[in-house]
Amino acid sequence: MSGDSNVEVPSDEVLASMGREELARLGAKLDGVELVEYGERYEPGSPADKHAERAVSRWFVLSALFGLAMIGIFIWWPAGYQPPGSDKQLMYALYTPLLGVTLGGAIACLGVGVIALAKKLAPHEVAVQQRHIGMSAEVDRRTLGAEVFDVVDKTNIKRRGMLKGTLGLAGGVIGLVAIVPVLGGFIKNPWAKGAKSDLWVTGWAPVAGKKVRMAQIDGTPVRPEDMAAGAIMTVFPGVPGGAKMSDSAVMLIRLRSDEKVKIRDGQQGWEFGDYYAYSKICTHVGCPTSLFEAQTGRILCPCHQSQFDVNDGCKPVFGPATRPLPQLPIALDEEGYFIAVSDFHEAVGPGFWENGKHPAWKASPKESS
Amino acid sequence: MRTPDEAPRRRITRGSKSFRRLSGGLALLLALITVGFAYAALSPTPQTAQAAAVDPEMIAAGKNLYMNSCITCHGANLQGVQDHGPSLIGVGEAAAYFQLSTGRMPAAENAAQMPRKPAFFTPEEIDQLGAFIQANGGGPQVPEGQLRDDAEVAKGGELYRLNCASCHNFTGAGGALSQGKYAPALSEATNSEIYAAMLTGPENMPKFSDGQLTPDEKKAIISFVQMNKETIDPGGLPLGGFGPAPEGLIAFLVGMVAIVGVTLWMGSKA
Repeated sequence: MSGDSNVEVPSDEVLASMGREELARLGAKLDGVELVEYGERYEPGSPADKHAERAVSRWFVLSALFGLAMIGIFIWWPAGYQPPGSDKQLMYALYTPLLGVTLGGAIACLGVGVIALAKKLAPHEVAVQQRHIGMSAEVDRRTLGAEVFDVVDKTNIKRRGMLKGTLGLAGGVIGLVAIVPVLGGFIKNPWAKGAKSDLWVTGWAPVAGKKVRMAQIDGTPVRPEDMAAGAIMTVFPGVPGGAKMSDSAVMLIRLRSDEKVKIRDGQQGWEFGDYYAYSKICTHVGCPTSLFEAQTGRILCPCHQSQFDVNDGCKPVFGPATRPLPQLPIALDEEGYFIAVSDFHEAVGPGFWENGKHPAWKASPKESS
Repeated sequence: MRTPDEAPRRRITRGSKSFRRLSGGLALLLALITVGFAYAALSPTPQTAQAAAVDPEMIAAGKNLYMNSCITCHGANLQGVQDHGPSLIGVGEAAAYFQLSTGRMPAAENAAQMPRKPAFFTPEEIDQLGAFIQANGGGPQVPEGQLRDDAEVAKGGELYRLNCASCHNFTGAGGALSQGKYAPALSEATNSEIYAAMLTGPENMPKFSDGQLTPDEKKAIISFVQMNKETIDPGGLPLGGFGPAPEGLIAFLVGMVAIVGVTLWMGSKA
């Protein structure tokens, strides 16, 4: 850009007659760099020169060998799981580390080779560069600004209405794309199905008037005698696909009969004997809260250390959660299996802004169902 | 079917005296065999470690040990002592076995949680104390024999992740609970200890009765835990098995320091 102005620019004839090294030196000089010392590191063909070349090539050969080893291991290594005790297990366990070591080795050797190339074979040079102090000269700044704005003027942006309109359109639509994830929630009405909207209903809502059984993850229905006092069981709606319903996981807890339990207002009779069912979805950000301390009756959430007290309606006693875990009203069916008397009567998981506005959530489930 | 007229001639004809004798004998034999099989199938298999079957001398020896080492906190009649130790009536031999063989009992102090330490009693003494506890109120017992089922290790892994991993970590490394309590690491736990822990729910662990996790499922879980420990870690250094947090921290600290160090070294050599 702004080299030393006292460097003479040679004429075209002189330029055509210059050799490559002369041109390189001239280029450096025009950029304000003076090469005090510049030239080949070794005499070409000398033993030192050959030695340096071999030293650099060694790294590239090593890199290629590592790469080939990685390809070979990836294709042919016995990577299938081998049970402990068999002598093949070490081979299985070495697979991943070997892939990493060989691939890493290939890249590292290539890098070392390039550095060695620069240090051992690239021309030896000592350069001095003069640098100006402070900002660019007044004339440079003024001319550059004029160049930019003159292009704008000469393009006649001001009078090209169509160009301005279409450019604005494209920019506006791209801006819309950026905010559509936020706007989307306003376009798609989550309450279109009224009281049966997805956010209101979980898998525990009675199906065609039939109350849903509680089932283990493999679909086995649960009876009271399956659980000892001080037990916790994760149960799912006993309907097809119930174990995959992300809002319906429930902790079925059997407390000891001598434990004092406080029941939340309006939730009397939602338990069955010493059995209580609470949503497993944390009311903070929806992690599974299944760290149950059988002696203290605390349920811990592993994500942010919220704690809920089973003996006090699963109200939060520590951590960022603010709402109790929703309780599911339970009973036994005529065959002696646990059923959900109704769906939850408050929102499961992290609270949302319509929480508590559902018409049916006010009534007691045993009366309304 | 053939009609009686067409039936070929037999030495013993239907209705003859010898026919009746023979068929009656066969029927009796068949009935006896059926009853025998039914009895073998339906009668309960005798349980090897029932309290009644245990040598009274063992119970007496266990009582002697109890009176010397346990009575202060658990009371003269196993009824427990307020603020010191719980009642041991009905906890069963399995609970005694777990607490004693893992060295948690006798406890050194009344802390938030009893740490695992070398067992104070010998295996014989643990059996004697277990017999004494079992003789006072019964309770769950750890079954004899093979407590692993390596063929079901995949199912065991599924059950472990659903029921155990929330506290004991996916790798069995354990984890923190509230107020100084913790789920211990499973690194030293034996098959019988894991079985006893599931059955009895020591300290803050919930109980997993045979109705909730069948004995076969318990054995599958034990297989998963033990094979997890025996398998060489395919990812190299496990860093405690705590997952991405320590791995990311180590990668950042070690990797960043190494990159900065190499860069500085290269600069100084230039």
